[in-house]
Amino acid sequence: MYKIPAQNFPIIEEWVAPGSRVLDLGCGDGSLLDTLITRKKVDGIGVEISHEMILQCIQKGICVYQADIDKDLSEWADSSFDYVILNSTLQVITRPYSVINEMLRVGDFAIISISNFGYIRNRIRVLSQGKVSSRIRLSESWHDTPVLRFVSLKEFRSSLKEIGVEIIDARYFFPMNMTTRTPGPAYNLLAREGIFKLRRIQ
Amino acid sequence: MSGPSIVRTQILPVDRPFKFESGGILPRIEIAYETYGRLSEHKDNAILIEHALSGDAHAAFYHEGDKKPGWWDCMVGSGKAFDTDRYFVICSNILGGCKGTTGPASINPDTGKPFGLTFPPVSVRDMVEAQRILLKSFQIEKLKCIAGGSMGGMQAMQFFCDYPSQFESFISIASAIKHSAQQIAFNEVGRRAVMADPRWNDGNYYDGIAPEGGLSVARMIGHITYISEKMMQEKFGRLKKDRDSRAIFRPSFEVEHYLDYQGISFVKRFDANSYLYITNAVDNFDLMASISAKERFRGQGRERGMNIGELRSKKGLVISFTSDWLYPSSQSKDIVRLFTALNVQVSYTDIATEHGHDAFLTDYEKPSEIIRGFLASLG
Repeated sequence: MYKIPAQNFPIIEEWVAPGSRVLDLGCGDGSLLDTLITRKKVDGIGVEISHEMILQCIQKGICVYQADIDKDLSEWADSSFDYVILNSTLQVITRPYSVINEMLRVGDFAIISISNFGYIRNRIRVLSQGKVSSRIRLSESWHDTPVLRFVSLKEFRSSLKEIGVEIIDARYFFPMNMTTRTPGPAYNLLAREGIFKLRRIQ
Repeated sequence: MSGPSIVRTQILPVDRPFKFESGGILPRIEIAYETYGRLSEHKDNAILIEHALSGDAHAAFYHEGDKKPGWWDCMVGSGKAFDTDRYFVICSNILGGCKGTTGPASINPDTGKPFGLTFPPVSVRDMVEAQRILLKSFQIEKLKCIAGGSMGGMQAMQFFCDYPSQFESFISIASAIKHSAQQIAFNEVGRRAVMADPRWNDGNYYDGIAPEGGLSVARMIGHITYISEKMMQEKFGRLKKDRDSRAIFRPSFEVEHYLDYQGISFVKRFDANSYLYITNAVDNFDLMASISAKERFRGQGRERGMNIGELRSKKGLVISFTSDWLYPSSQSKDIVRLFTALNVQVSYTDIATEHGHDAFLTDYEKPSEIIRGFLASLG
C-alpha cells in the first residue's frame, strides 16, 4: 500500500480554513482527516477504494465513501467542498487532467502533492542503473508499483497553466528537511517533492 | 460454553386507535417483537433492527425446539456485528405483516373474520409508527442505531428522518430511497401471480385453501432477483436432479427444484394478502417526497418531521453489494447523496460479493466488521 506522507499534514493544516468542508481523495486510513477534524474542526469526507482502508476510517469515526477517484467524482455537485485534497496519489491516477478539473469543480481549492521525478537522485538512478522505479518511495518494481505517472515538478507546473489552474501557494521539499515557498532556480533538479494549493484561474 | 440462546416472540397489545397514513383507522393493533441482550441502566444501548419483505420479529437466537435460528442470527448475537453483549437489540414484525403483528390475516373484531382486503393500505411510514409505539413501551428516548436491509433499510431511513432526535445513527444495507420501474415491475408480476390464482378470491380465502400456487410463483420470481446471475450459474448450472423424469414439464433442473422449494416453503409461512400489502408499501415508498410533502403530518405521528434540522451531525452508514442487481449500488449512492444533503455524516461502502441482493442475509463477514467498527465509533 502506498503510504501517505505525514510530512504534508502541517502544511495542509495551515492551508485549510477552520470549519471548512474538505474532501480527501485517496484518504487511506483517514489519519489526515482525523488531524484536520481534531485541529481545524473541518467537515471532512474521505474517498477510498480499498475495503481495509475504509474499515480503518469507519473505526476512527471518519466519514468515508468507497469510490474510484478516476471515475466517480462526477457524483458530487459543483462547489460541494471548500478544499479537495489529493495527497501523494496523483501518480496513481489514470486520468490526472480530468481528476484535477473535477477537483476544482466539486471544490473551490485543490491541494495536490507530488513527488518529483526530475529530482537528481531519480535522474542518476535512471542514468546509472537504467532503473525507472525507486525502491524508496515507489514500489519494488515496475510491474507492481501503483505509480502510473512519472512527472517532474516542472512538467506539473506547466500543465497547470495549460488547464487554466493557478498556484496560490506551494511548498518545495529539498533534502535535509529544507522547505521553501518559491521554487528557486534549480528546483526541478533538487526538490524531492512539492505540494500545491490550487485554484481555477478566475 | 452455554447452549444456544433461546428467545420467545412477545406481543405488545395497543388498545387505542391506530391511524394509517391512508386515512384508515384500526381500533387496536398488536405488535410482535423480540429483544436480545440487556437494556442498560441509562437505556442508551438500544438498537432497532428492521426486517425485509418476508422477515419477522425473530431476527436472532433460537425459538424453543427449533433447529434454525432467526433470519439475521449471523449478524445479531454475542460478538457479532450487532453485539448483544454490548447492545440491547429490538426487532418487531411490521404492521401489515403476518407473523404476529396485526395484518390482513388478523381477525377484525367488528366482524369476527380476517380483515382481508378491508385492511387499510399500509405505508412504510405506518410500519415505522407502529414501532414507535413499541419503543415508547420500553421508555427508550434515544437509540444508538436503527438498521435494516432492503425494505428494512427503507424503514430505518424513514424512522430516522421522521424522528431524528430518537436516533444517533442509521444503517442502510442494499436499500433505496425509492423503487425503480424495474423493482416495481417485478413486484407487480408477483402481485399478479397471487391475484390470478382463483383461490385468492379477492382476498377472501381464509376459510379455504390459500392462493398457494400464485404466492409461490411470486416468491420464485423474487428468488431469481435475489441472487446474481453468476451465482445462480455456479450453484445450479444445467444440473438435473431426476434424469428420468416421467412426466413432461415436471421440474427436473436443479434450479427449478430450488425455486420450487423456495416457493413452497414460503407459502407455508406467509400470507398472500400480506404479500400484496407489503409489496405495495415498498413500491410506493419515496423517502424524499415523504419528508418534504405537506401530507407528512397525516396518520399516526403528529410530532413527525418537526426537527429535520436535528439530522445535522448524525451518522449514517450505507452498504451496497457489487452483484446486487435488484437494489443496485447506484441506489445506495442516491441514499448517500440525499443524507449528505441533509447534513448527515454518511459513510458508504460497496462490498465485493457474488451473492447478489441476498448478500445482506448470507455474506455477512465484511459487512459485520464494517458495522462493528461503525457502532464502536459512536462511543
